[in-house]
Amino acid sequence: MRAFYILLKKELRSFFLSPLAYVIVALFMLLNGCLFVAIVKAMWLSVTPHSLIFNMFTSVWFWMGYFFLFPLITMRLFAEEKKLGTMETLFTAPVRTVQVLLAKYVATVVLYLVVILPVFGFFILFQEVTGQLAAFNDGSFFGSLLALCLFGLFNIAIGCLASSLTANQLIAAMITFVAVMLHFFFGFFLNFASGSSAELGQRLKYFSTIDHMKFLSDGLIDSRPIVYYVSASILLLFVTHQVLDYRKWKS
Amino acid sequence: MISVKDLTKRYAGHTAIQNVSFEVGKGEIVGFLGPNGAGKSTTLRILTCFQSATSGTASVAGFDTYRDSVEVRRRIGYMPENVPLYLDMRVGEYLRFRADIKGMAGRKARNAVDESMDICGLQSVRKKLINNLSKGFRQRVGLADALVNKPDLLILDEPTNGLDPNQIRQVRELIRQLGERHTILVSTHILSEVEMTCGRVIIIDGGRIKASDTPANLVRRLRAAGTVRYEVKFAAKPVLEMVRNITGVQTARHIETRKEWTQIEIRSESNFDVRQDLHELAVAQSWPLRELSLKTATLEDVFVDMTQPGTA
Repeated sequence: MRAFYILLKKELRSFFLSPLAYVIVALFMLLNGCLFVAIVKAMWLSVTPHSLIFNMFTSVWFWMGYFFLFPLITMRLFAEEKKLGTMETLFTAPVRTVQVLLAKYVATVVLYLVVILPVFGFFILFQEVTGQLAAFNDGSFFGSLLALCLFGLFNIAIGCLASSLTANQLIAAMITFVAVMLHFFFGFFLNFASGSSAELGQRLKYFSTIDHMKFLSDGLIDSRPIVYYVSASILLLFVTHQVLDYRKWKS
Repeated sequence: MISVKDLTKRYAGHTAIQNVSFEVGKGEIVGFLGPNGAGKSTTLRILTCFQSATSGTASVAGFDTYRDSVEVRRRIGYMPENVPLYLDMRVGEYLRFRADIKGMAGRKARNAVDESMDICGLQSVRKKLINNLSKGFRQRVGLADALVNKPDLLILDEPTNGLDPNQIRQVRELIRQLGERHTILVSTHILSEVEMTCGRVIIIDGGRIKASDTPANLVRRLRAAGTVRYEVKFAAKPVLEMVRNITGVQTARHIETRKEWTQIEIRSESNFDVRQDLHELAVAQSWPLRELSLKTATLEDVFVDMTQPGTA
């Protein structure tokens, strides 16, 4: 356990003592700030049955920026260690692979939360300033917070795996980006489903990130996506662990 | 301290090491010598639990490197080839991180970092970013890292790689001092390094152990069959013919003929000194004689002899 904390501290340090974290946080706040203003303006012009939070998190513009986040924060995790050769010093120290893996994963999740949480500050601030209760309710606030946490856990696990596969950060980033996008588009397929494939479309709904977001940000807490994202993350981390330990396999 | 038995590592398509067996006792400084690609690094990686062997066993201080890898890793300090370091950390900070991760804490860790920085002469750069350090200093940071937790066994993979002659001398001196406290296995292809610091040499080539002995013994073994250089002013062919007729001459090889001077290299059988016969031959044939010398074997000769079959 001690080794885990030491490694976690080191990972957090390398995020927050370099400009990387600050650049990402600043750019995301700028992006989401602009989006927030646009959504507020749109809601002012037309009537919508949904809350401000729902409209924010189900808009295409939010997702466009959102998926660039994961390659950026996960690409260096293992790829950099491989490139520098520090995998060798790291794994010849008396630490277990699982400690290294979890330290890197948890540190990235922390960075992710630091990037995402300011967005929720917008809503609180908006409510304080305008007193518009209709635009904001606890259900959608905490529901969408939960949704983004779940998506984060899952997508960061994808990034971990991609980064453990290669010594090239750019390749790791590309794999992460494509995998994350593919998973997201999976849920869009059901829009095209009709007739005989309607059944299939219903099945695909279980994987649909955008659907999960719609339910959760309406304040409907469904246990299925929670189980789905948490177990998929654990599976991905398990595979990553195997990839990292592959060099020690006996044939 | 180290016990390696029938270690074999196969990658898809090629065998890195084959049936490697050796022992290293407590307190020894052992040189692990071999040309590039001989399997040195692979062996060291298996010993440090970074890789597994295809077959065979390796143990350090009685712990198996595969089954008790954490116990083994607690007892070794390893400096990999090319000294990988986190470039975005400061020297002191990096060593503190390494001490922590190797299970030291609090004041003990602080003292250990200070001590290893003293030993490696790093106090002047403790606040510098590793990225801004010269190759020599990085090498020392790697060494300081290896010995920060005072391990029983130090494993150094080409510690003088890429250093200038002065730095090589410093590192060599350091290794010799460290040998008083630690068991050391140092891999290298620089022979003078081994000759000066190591009590024993293991020569590996093509994934197999070729020899394991003290440097002096290895040299003596080769010197028993001496090499003589002989240069006379005459045509090569008759000279070779006559030289070969001398008792005790094993082989005679023509090296070159330049301006009528013929240079040949003669290998005699063990315990034969053919120099007197060669001189008498020159006198009898009235060949002008320019060189007649016994070449003393160095560890380099042993190395070339063992790792390059056919050219000896």
